[in-house]
Amino acid sequence: MNKAQGNAPQLTPSAGPFAPDGWLRRQGLTFLVAVVVLSLAGLCLRPVHDRAWPVARATLPETRVHDLEGALGQGVLLAVLGGFRAIVADLVFIQMTAHWEDDNREKVESLIDVATTIDPRPEFFWVNGSRIIAYDIRHWRVEHLGGREQVPEAVQRRINREQAERALALLDRALEYHPDEPTFLLEKAQIYANRLKNKEQAAHYFHRAWEQDGPYYAGRIYAVLLTELGRHRDAYDFLRGWWDDLPEDDFRANKALVLERIRSLEDKLGIPEHQRLPVDRAPRIFPYQQMALPVAPDQGEVESSD
Amino acid sequence: MSASAFGRIGVIGWNTFREAVRQKFFNFLVVLAVAMVASSFFFRQFEFESGELRFIADFGYGAIFLFGSILAVVMTAQLFFNELDNRTALTMLAKPVWRWEFITGKLFGVAVLLAVFTAVLTLLLGGILWWRETLLMTEYPDAFEDGRLVSYGGLLLFGLIQWVKFCVVAAITLFVAGFANTNLYTVVVSFIGVLICQLQYVAHDTWQDVENSLLQFILQIVGLLFPNFQMFNIGQPLTFPDSGGEIETAVPLILGYGVVYVFVFLGLAVFAFRAKEV
Repeated sequence: MNKAQGNAPQLTPSAGPFAPDGWLRRQGLTFLVAVVVLSLAGLCLRPVHDRAWPVARATLPETRVHDLEGALGQGVLLAVLGGFRAIVADLVFIQMTAHWEDDNREKVESLIDVATTIDPRPEFFWVNGSRIIAYDIRHWRVEHLGGREQVPEAVQRRINREQAERALALLDRALEYHPDEPTFLLEKAQIYANRLKNKEQAAHYFHRAWEQDGPYYAGRIYAVLLTELGRHRDAYDFLRGWWDDLPEDDFRANKALVLERIRSLEDKLGIPEHQRLPVDRAPRIFPYQQMALPVAPDQGEVESSD
Repeated sequence: MSASAFGRIGVIGWNTFREAVRQKFFNFLVVLAVAMVASSFFFRQFEFESGELRFIADFGYGAIFLFGSILAVVMTAQLFFNELDNRTALTMLAKPVWRWEFITGKLFGVAVLLAVFTAVLTLLLGGILWWRETLLMTEYPDAFEDGRLVSYGGLLLFGLIQWVKFCVVAAITLFVAGFANTNLYTVVVSFIGVLICQLQYVAHDTWQDVENSLLQFILQIVGLLFPNFQMFNIGQPLTFPDSGGEIETAVPLILGYGVVYVFVFLGLAVFAFRAKEV
């Protein structure tokens, strides 16, 4: 230090990361070795991974890879939540019900989407979510526009169709996770029948649900819809072929009702006596079938679809 | 490796374990994890038709994964940097203790700690499932005509698999600590690494569907460099064998996969630590 500088501290050039003793030079070799070693390990373990991963993969909900962003979002959720996704999805669904009480359409639809994305396993989310979208939200939208007395019927029909299609889209997503699950096929059938008045599609999905070991009523309703579509022969062939497989001792099979419908179709189709269904003894009538069940008064729904 | 090397590793590991169990953080984490697993019994009221026993098991898996990962990262980093900050590492390495023995001893001690932690939580979860299943069998005997639904051997196997995964996490943390300068940096980078390993399966499954060639290349590299932690999440089929699939055939492969990665990251940690100023 010379007198001109006085007591000022000497400034030395700072050693940046690229200097010979910089951290990048020092750690660069470590990173390079790490990349090489991990790559080799990944390649050597690839056969092991490819044998074990498909088995483990089957236990995970399907990653929707239609777009990377969607897959990443779902992947992050699954990765972060791990085993907690069940409880988090449950709490999200409970939160949705709070907004459902307030007729908050946007929150309800978005939280249904979130709950089913976080945990697509429970059928409960899909079934109740689709019902809320198809049956409840359409009422809310009409009410918010002024009520059924004020809103034109064309607008009500459009809203009805939009909500039904949104519910059907949700159920299509459900079927991606639960292929051929009869519960979702039945819901689709109900929406086609009740909301869209599309008997063709309703019959198709009731039949599919019946094929997937769905409830007995799916088969019976399928036959009724065929009859309403004028396809009496198809309905008769279906019920006739199904008759032998129906159990005697299961009240849900309601064999007596099926026989009644077969006889009605035989009369309608004019089937000769010797070709009719031979029945050795009348099917068992269960006590509940003899009761006069209470029927709700007809509320005269103003619903029709295009 | 000579017998004395094993001896030195054992001593370092045992002291690491003893130091770890005295840490308040470890005790707090164990209490929290036990409370969370036990609370799954009360949260079951929120389950929507996914099956009460599966819900309890799912919740337990989540607690084991969450707290086990936190313990593996934080305790490993803390134990490593405590040695450096207190200069005990300097004292130790001045003796005839090789750097690789020091790192291996650290990993060994953390592995024993994680084994105790995982065993406690797995046994607790098994106890809750056993108790609840017994009550359900009394209440609904028809649903248990084929015997118990839960495979407790499968649950213990799942615990073993989770322990191996946590050892991989600890080895990753040691590798990061080998070149990091601070505890905080090590913890943050290690957690990011764990998250990438959890998400690796998305990269592996989706790279072929991506049109952007640069993104495709990046996803391939991620799939190659990082272990797939989702492979270790097979709790449901192990604990509830009627879920389907042949998961038992994959268990030895998954365990071997994890053990190899433990040694790979241990080797990298030794390499990174060789030039570190102690």
